[in-house]
Amino acid sequence: MSAKESVLAKAVWQETKPASPAVRNSRKRSVSDFLVYAAGAVLLFIVACALVPGWIAPYTPTEMLTDRIMQPPGGSHLFGTDYFGRDIFSVVVYGSRDSLLIGIASVAAGLLAGGAIGALAGYAGGIIDMVLMRLLEILMTIPGILLALAIAAALGPSLANIVIAVSLSAVPGYARVLRGQIMSIKGRPFIMAAHSIGTPGLSIFLRHVLPNSWAPLLVMGTIGLGTSILMGSGLSFLGLGVIKEVPDWGTLLSQGRGYLTVAWWMATFPGMAITLLVLSVNLIGDKLRDRLDPKHTRG
Amino acid sequence: MHPSRLMKSWQLMSAIALSFLVLLSGCSSGNSQRENQHSTSGGKVKAQGSDQPGTAAKGGQLSFALATSPDTLDPQRTGLAVAVRVLRTLYDTLVIQGTDNDIQPSLATGWEVSSDRKTYTFKLRQDVTFHDGTPFKAEAVKFTFDRILDPATKASNSAQLIKPYASSEIVDDYTVKIHLTTPSNAFLSNLSQAQLAIVSPAAAAKDGEQFGKNPIGSGPFKFVEWQENAQIVVERNPDYKWGPGNVENKGAPYLERLTFKIVPEEATRLGGVQSKQVDAAETVPPQNILQLKSDPNFQVFSINTGGLPYTLFINQENPPWNELKARKALQLAIDVDAIVKTLYLGTYDRAWSPLAPTTLGYDNTLENGVKADVEKANALLDELGWKAGPDNIREKDGKKLTLRYVDGSPNREKRNDIAAMVQQQLKKIGVLTEVTITKDVRSIVHEQSNYDIHGNSQVNSDPEALRNFYHSEIKNMAGRHNYPALNSPEVDEWINQGTVETDKAKREEIYKKVQHYIIDNAVIIPIYVFPYTVAALNSVQDLKFDALGYPLFNDVYIQNKP
Amino acid sequence: MIRTLTARLVSSIMVVLGALVLVFVIVYLLPGDPVFTILDPATATPEMIAGMRAQLGVDRPLYEQFWDYAGGMLQGDFGKSLLNDEPVLPKIIAHFPATLALTVASSLTAAVIGIWLGVLSAIHRNRWLDVVVRIIGLFGISMPTFWSGILLILIFSVNLGWFPAMGSDGWQTLVLPALSLGLVGSGFIVRLVRNSMLEVINEPFIVTLRSKGISERLVMYRHALRNALIPALTMIGVLIGDLLAGTVVIETVFSRQGIGRIISDALMAKDLPVVQGVIFFSAIIYVLINLLVDMSYSIIDPRVRRLNARRQAS
Repeated sequence: MSAKESVLAKAVWQETKPASPAVRNSRKRSVSDFLVYAAGAVLLFIVACALVPGWIAPYTPTEMLTDRIMQPPGGSHLFGTDYFGRDIFSVVVYGSRDSLLIGIASVAAGLLAGGAIGALAGYAGGIIDMVLMRLLEILMTIPGILLALAIAAALGPSLANIVIAVSLSAVPGYARVLRGQIMSIKGRPFIMAAHSIGTPGLSIFLRHVLPNSWAPLLVMGTIGLGTSILMGSGLSFLGLGVIKEVPDWGTLLSQGRGYLTVAWWMATFPGMAITLLVLSVNLIGDKLRDRLDPKHTRG
Repeated sequence: MHPSRLMKSWQLMSAIALSFLVLLSGCSSGNSQRENQHSTSGGKVKAQGSDQPGTAAKGGQLSFALATSPDTLDPQRTGLAVAVRVLRTLYDTLVIQGTDNDIQPSLATGWEVSSDRKTYTFKLRQDVTFHDGTPFKAEAVKFTFDRILDPATKASNSAQLIKPYASSEIVDDYTVKIHLTTPSNAFLSNLSQAQLAIVSPAAAAKDGEQFGKNPIGSGPFKFVEWQENAQIVVERNPDYKWGPGNVENKGAPYLERLTFKIVPEEATRLGGVQSKQVDAAETVPPQNILQLKSDPNFQVFSINTGGLPYTLFINQENPPWNELKARKALQLAIDVDAIVKTLYLGTYDRAWSPLAPTTLGYDNTLENGVKADVEKANALLDELGWKAGPDNIREKDGKKLTLRYVDGSPNREKRNDIAAMVQQQLKKIGVLTEVTITKDVRSIVHEQSNYDIHGNSQVNSDPEALRNFYHSEIKNMAGRHNYPALNSPEVDEWINQGTVETDKAKREEIYKKVQHYIIDNAVIIPIYVFPYTVAALNSVQDLKFDALGYPLFNDVYIQNKP
Repeated sequence: MIRTLTARLVSSIMVVLGALVLVFVIVYLLPGDPVFTILDPATATPEMIAGMRAQLGVDRPLYEQFWDYAGGMLQGDFGKSLLNDEPVLPKIIAHFPATLALTVASSLTAAVIGIWLGVLSAIHRNRWLDVVVRIIGLFGISMPTFWSGILLILIFSVNLGWFPAMGSDGWQTLVLPALSLGLVGSGFIVRLVRNSMLEVINEPFIVTLRSKGISERLVMYRHALRNALIPALTMIGVLIGDLLAGTVVIETVFSRQGIGRIISDALMAKDLPVVQGVIFFSAIIYVLINLLVDMSYSIIDPRVRRLNARRQAS
């Protein structure tokens, strides 16, 4: 692992010695616990919005009440109305679907592809490892947003293409972390032992290597979820987003930004929705890291 | 321990302050607009030139924020309207077009047209020099126009505008004969467009491909520098004394310096004027037009452009839109009034005709001729046998009634939002609208012609512009049809007549017939007339606009009101 | 040391060559005919199209195009813009300083805010100030930069009039864009500094220092922070690549010059030589930064030097 990777890993995943129990079992721990619960509640609510928007939203998100455009928050419109006269709260509730979809699908696709490459490289080693890592290194030279921009421009605007664009730029990250984990586990005595008694390679991989490697990927995934949603909104800003009947939050924010001095609520609520979602996911990711890091729990 | 505690609480305070600033800014900026204007006037960001003493001598410097970057400052190569705003300051044209569409002298003092209308003889001004010192002579005219035909120039819009130019003949230093292959009524007004402005032959020959970065013309301002994506600076041409008829100041402009800033982000551009970092900004969104109009510190200009208004073209190639009743149903179901009122808040005019109101031959009897009527629209679709299926979408022979609406990205002039509103309105008559917003209009619309509705507009000086959109000889890149796939021998004939008819009144009548046909047959749905808008500080005086809505800076000076 | 260096250099060159191929593939996949970057599709005749195609050389076989492209790029000839024939490499070089200035300024902002908040967070670990600070750090990561950028313009330009909203001349124009980009980077650094400091706090030598009665503040700033600085600075090196990419959005928001603006404009206009030029250029920069970060890190931190030596031995 190069020096750079070790630092990166440290920011994401604590590689080094655990903090002492004295620090971790501080009596004020409940403050950060409370935050995690709050984050969990926010996340649950957003997921509920995506699953059953009809139960939460008071209006149809596409309904344009052209006689009440740009009404400030309050009264019958919790978040106000936009320049079409749509109820912003309802649009945001329904918009959670595509926003979550962009985030979850990109992370899933990136994890699957990156995980597979990383596992193959880490487990096979040798020439396969070298070739795969070189290829990833080449992919990494092109900054994520540029890659996403070029792909979105090449493939045209659709939700699937944004997912491809965003997930492709995340592949090297996942691949490297999983490879690193596998490399560090591979040499351990219990794996060696399994090999020596003739356990098939795939079985060793599934039963021993993978269970010991998924934790950092999960943590990275939570962080990647936020990054994907932000990158998706960045593409919307640059005019490469998907415009659907019910837009995702990034598109809503991007559409409302020209109205900040006239009707601040149009951009602010979708923006806050994005920020809250990413914030919650990150808080939970932090917590997961504390819980799942084996070196932590040993301490 | 005490000092450290003090330290901590200070750090705490600042951390909280930082977070609150970021969080609450959205609210504070919305509600305290008026109050802000006062605070900025004493702020540290000062407008260039706005501090000039308000003495009798007119002068000052002006910074003007453009919404996009010009592609080149070579008039013959540019394909962008934004470049024209800068080109107008650097170059002159042979003639100019007045606001009532009459053609007036500029670099040409007069002209004669041969009886076959294929030869124009121009007499030229004798007192004009280009910025590089080259005197303006007949040779420059010939050079400029021949240059357009030379493929090495990679001419863009100018290649279209110069048609049907054949050749130039230098009679003497100040007389030039221009030969056309066929007569054209649009030729003179096309000569007034900046893409056909006369360039310095010496400079253009010397700089070749790089002329667009080192532009030399004979205009009221001289080129100083172009910092790409940042600004284009021009300065007063002190020798200028050949100002055209559409400006009062025929001599050197009052402004010493004019800086075009390139600011693509709308909020930033407007923020630049509001914080007085720039003196003026173009393309003001409707919501800000209203906001700034009510503010005594600012003035807002809004000039309707000529040519074709923003129009939804219905592609007749694909059924059922080849049937008049189906298109009529769209015409009745799309509530253009609601669209224009909601999205443009009364700052844009509704369009009624394929031509904009300021264009020659505009037929004002079409105004208020179409009224939204959902019931009638439904009845028309019923007659065609499209019956409501499940989820209220009409069906016929197992096919859903769908309409593919293709629009370009980014959301210029809220055109994507029009698509969103049309989609909702057409739901009421059981039409499923599939909206595609794409960066790649070129391949979807022009190459594959894969659309039922596509919107477009064109700023133009002559009704001849109708040819490119409605004449059946014009084909898209698939070689199939024109924009609306209109194939009407009548319309073709009228457009051909309009090109050669010399009598102005008769010509107008011809174009009125075209306009009536297009609306009566629901070939298109005109939406709005595009106004060129500029927000400026009150210190900016005498900003004027030409017939096509491009700004003229010859008369502008800076004076702060007491 | 020399062997490590050579090995790194060779692999860097291989990566650059790979990027060269990747860039060609990406640009080749972009839809639309480059001919229509110049010609108006509504009016161009088939002859005009064929002529322009020949002039641009896009009618030749693909391998020939690639050969020309690769040969040109490696010799520093990035071609000319389709829109105005401007040579691409000089254009990039002319705009790079503005992007570099923004990247450096936002790295500094990220470092200052990140280290400051990270230290605060570590000192007040697990108390509510820690929680507040960590949330602020997370806010930086959680806000779309174009939104925070516009908010900063509204507060500091329109409302307060402290800093200009646009432009790229003078340090004043750097403040707001660097702040909005730096907030993103600081989020990562807060986390890293906090973790690194907490690691050190329980080392025996710190415990000894504490028992000697040295004040908590001195312990934290003198000893714990010093240990957190190297990883934090390395993190900034790592982040520079991301910050560089972040300029694509921020340069548009603040209407700054720079290569981020160039590429987004070129993508919109389908100006392919510019697109491939900028992507390849940024790939080279990325490789260079990584090389520098790795080398400086192995110079600064003896542990890595030893690790490298061991890797070579095995």
